[in-house]
Amino acid sequence: PCPRQVRSYYVDWRMLRDVKRRKMAYEYADERLRINAIRKNSILPKELQEVADEEIAALPRDSCPVRIRNRCVLTSRPRGVKRRWRLSRIVFRHFADHAQMSGVQRAMW
Amino acid sequence: LSKDKDKSAASKDSTPEGPAKRQEDRAETRKQQLLDIIGNMKVEVSYRKKLQQLKASENKKQAMDKLEGPDSEGSVPQGITEDTQRGKPLNPELVKAASAVASSLPRNKKQTESELLAQLRRHEETTDKQKKGGTINIRNVISEMTVKRQSPAQWGARISGRISLQLDEDGQRIRPERSSAQSMDSRSLKVGKRLNIFTKASTEPEHALKTVSSPTIWDLEFAKEVAAVTAQPPRNGFEEMIQWTKEGILWEYPIDNEVGMEDDAEFHEHIFLEKHLEGFPKEGPIRHFMELVICGLSKNPYLSVKQKVEHIEWFQKYFEEKKELLQEI
Repeated sequence: PCPRQVRSYYVDWRMLRDVKRRKMAYEYADERLRINAIRKNSILPKELQEVADEEIAALPRDSCPVRIRNRCVLTSRPRGVKRRWRLSRIVFRHFADHAQMSGVQRAMW
Repeated sequence: LSKDKDKSAASKDSTPEGPAKRQEDRAETRKQQLLDIIGNMKVEVSYRKKLQQLKASENKKQAMDKLEGPDSEGSVPQGITEDTQRGKPLNPELVKAASAVASSLPRNKKQTESELLAQLRRHEETTDKQKKGGTINIRNVISEMTVKRQSPAQWGARISGRISLQLDEDGQRIRPERSSAQSMDSRSLKVGKRLNIFTKASTEPEHALKTVSSPTIWDLEFAKEVAAVTAQPPRNGFEEMIQWTKEGILWEYPIDNEVGMEDDAEFHEHIFLEKHLEGFPKEGPIRHFMELVICGLSKNPYLSVKQKVEHIEWFQKYFEEKKELLQEI
């Protein structure tokens, strides 16, 4: 019944892994924040901070937000992705030319 | 019609005087008059009211006459006797009108007359029932409908039969056993009609709720199926937007910035968080650290009070675990 493409799977495995990382990062976000607060401190004793360093390293690797890559939502392209639309430049151009992007117009000046 | 009225008035004046013999003549004249009136009726519809008035005025007098003398020929009294035989006597006005109409029609007089009278009887019955408070009939019908509604287990049994062949460990089909068992249960549960004379109508939904209290997986599946089938595609943009709003894709307008957040806490609970610091030592670097934490949390408008309290509690736990380490230092 839907006129557009129906996508029931993620585009590829890399996208799936990215999704997993995002989920894990969301779960461990609070803990990471607190442990980092202990680490980046000049008041607490250094031993405590070293212990905190070890603790944060012991957390699962996929829980850190640095590992998330803003891929294109439709094609899973890792580069050339505009943040506002979460689309790669090629897909963005395709939709914009077919007048399917609201408020987007070809620049001319 | 005014001429007819005058005639009837004149005839009425004459009737109470005459003996029973004159009844026939009167009846015939009445009939003729009625026929004329009805014949005129075919031309225009507005004469209906006048006809009714005429009937009312005529038949009052005629009822009086009938009481006096039962012997009279013609198709009119036959109709009356028929009615009385059936039990509930019809209004003589209507009887007269029916007979006149039947005589005016080209077909078999007596047949049409009997049919008309039967219809009138039915009408009378229904009106009487309604006067008595005949909503009971409707309620009976509705209660019947609820009784006929099958129990959810039966739906499940049906669907299971339709979708797949359910094999037990023995290799036998579960479905027929299920359906037979449930049909027995449904009959025993819902026995007879509810007259709703002594109980209030509110007891019905309770009854309905009891049957639905155990939704099995099959019920859910059936409900999903029904929803999928009945959900028609939106006819226009408005219906599409309604659907999206229900699903949560579209926000509700005018936009409320605090849709997900329900922070009932006052501002002082957000800012003055020192009361949560009771578990910590009063002096030392930890206290210093926690005061900084509290200062930061109080300035944070995005967290709820619960989340802030959770942060502080986590720190408390953490420092308690590390107490031994701290004591070495």
